[in-house]
Amino acid sequence: MGFGQFLSSPEIKLKVVTFRDVFQNTAQESSRFGEDYCKLSAVIKLDPKDIVKLSIKEGETVIVKNKSGKVVVKAEGSESEESHTGIAYMVNSPWSNALVPDETGGSGVPSFKDFEVSVQGAKGERITSLRDIF
Amino acid sequence: MTEYYVCPGCALLCDDIEVEIEDGKVTKVNSACRKGVARMKGCSDPMECTVDDEKTDVDAAITKAADILREAKDPLIFGHGNSSSQAQQLSIDIAKRTGAYLDDTSSFCQGPIIEAILQDKLKTCTLDDIRHKADVIVFWGADPSNSHPRHLSRYSYFPRGNERQRGWEEDRTAIAIDIRKSDTAEICGQSNFYRIPMAADAEFMEALVSALSGKVPKTSFDFDKKKILQLANVLKKAKFGVICVGLGLVYSLDELEPLFILMDKLNEVSSFHLLPMVGQYNMRGFNQNLFDKTGYINRVKFDGEDNSVKHGADFSVIESLRNRSVDAALIIGSDPLSSLPLSVARYLAEIPLITIDPCRNLTATKSTVTIPCALSGVEAGGTAMRMDGVEVELKKVIDTDNLTDEEILRRIKEAI
Repeated sequence: MGFGQFLSSPEIKLKVVTFRDVFQNTAQESSRFGEDYCKLSAVIKLDPKDIVKLSIKEGETVIVKNKSGKVVVKAEGSESEESHTGIAYMVNSPWSNALVPDETGGSGVPSFKDFEVSVQGAKGERITSLRDIF
Repeated sequence: MTEYYVCPGCALLCDDIEVEIEDGKVTKVNSACRKGVARMKGCSDPMECTVDDEKTDVDAAITKAADILREAKDPLIFGHGNSSSQAQQLSIDIAKRTGAYLDDTSSFCQGPIIEAILQDKLKTCTLDDIRHKADVIVFWGADPSNSHPRHLSRYSYFPRGNERQRGWEEDRTAIAIDIRKSDTAEICGQSNFYRIPMAADAEFMEALVSALSGKVPKTSFDFDKKKILQLANVLKKAKFGVICVGLGLVYSLDELEPLFILMDKLNEVSSFHLLPMVGQYNMRGFNQNLFDKTGYINRVKFDGEDNSVKHGADFSVIESLRNRSVDAALIIGSDPLSSLPLSVARYLAEIPLITIDPCRNLTATKSTVTIPCALSGVEAGGTAMRMDGVEVELKKVIDTDNLTDEEILRRIKEAI
């Protein structure tokens, strides 16, 4: 148990944009309950500066939450060359959908690609399983 | 002679697929993308036939499904993106008979664009037109490299079409407008990538219309004016332009007016078409089938007694579940527990729920009745509609003991 265990993890607010990934989609075709689908879905892609702000390392888990829900997913650095601090990317999946607000302003269309979350290091907490989401 | 099959992996419905079969199973799929290969090889979690979590036979499951729909006051019938057109027609019949809410994935996806196309408000074209003629292709909020992996190679960028014999190297310009550098944007190249802020699509369109009108394009986010003028210049020179509209653009627009204005302007100065990047293989088919019968593409509620039909956001899958206005649901060819916001989808677990699908999915785990069906395009034939509105006949590759989605719905309809 390291000293870091006793420090509170910094929490930052981010906007999430969801996207499609052909590898995750392929895993979904094979089995929604498979390890690959979970591994490729339960991920948030962050700007390197946001990773620093969170005092975490790439590959560690983070708690992502808002009024709609809470999930623990793996934090990865995004491959984007351009800075996108304040914006995180999540592949479209039950993990991102746990966080999509249900308000639609009467339009019937939720904000799948534009919603706010707070993110905090999960200190080794395990990734939320599909069963835990429901 | 080689037999070619149609891939039901997405709404491109690629019809050049070769398969190898061993012991009645598809063991190899050639030509398809990785997503298509996975779809055609079948899932590792086939759906089981159950009632109240107990395995049963299909007759008992159909009887129970019919009971649920008959007894419900306001059932919801939802899905249809991965169902044959024949099954969709039966869904519409059942919805009429039971006074149901009827909706599909387009309700929170490409619906507004398809509706505008069917109402002749937007000029469109076929994928074959794009392959043979398109010289300027704009991917706006779309990343087909991930969502429709063969879009660029079969139709929009790489092929040598009849009028585009020099292919992508000289004859075509691909442009990406997006909030992030997607894999498709990488292919378009840095000089043809326009990175805009989140939710700024309407404003960028307005600036583009200014540039196309010879005015200085201004944006509140200080986008390089010279770059917008360069883009306008490329679009103006297009002989056959196409905007491939992805969900990034659809979700960013509160209304379609800015897109109508841009398309009108583009068609004043050159010739531009619009293609909705539909995901599921027969979503557009459902929109067309319902439109032909009711004049609406989705979000309807039938009145069981006088056969009238109501339409609007209140009858959408999202609002009907959010407002808890439905008391049972039939889900076909879709997995709403996976694709809807969780807070909305949770309500499905509280009401009698029927799921029809070839594969076990999240919705099935919360269903009162689950019925496995044949996988269209592999274990059954049927008709579907591509993203561009072209009808395609699916071919059966292998046999199965499962009934087709069409047959299951026919039997539910009869039992009701």
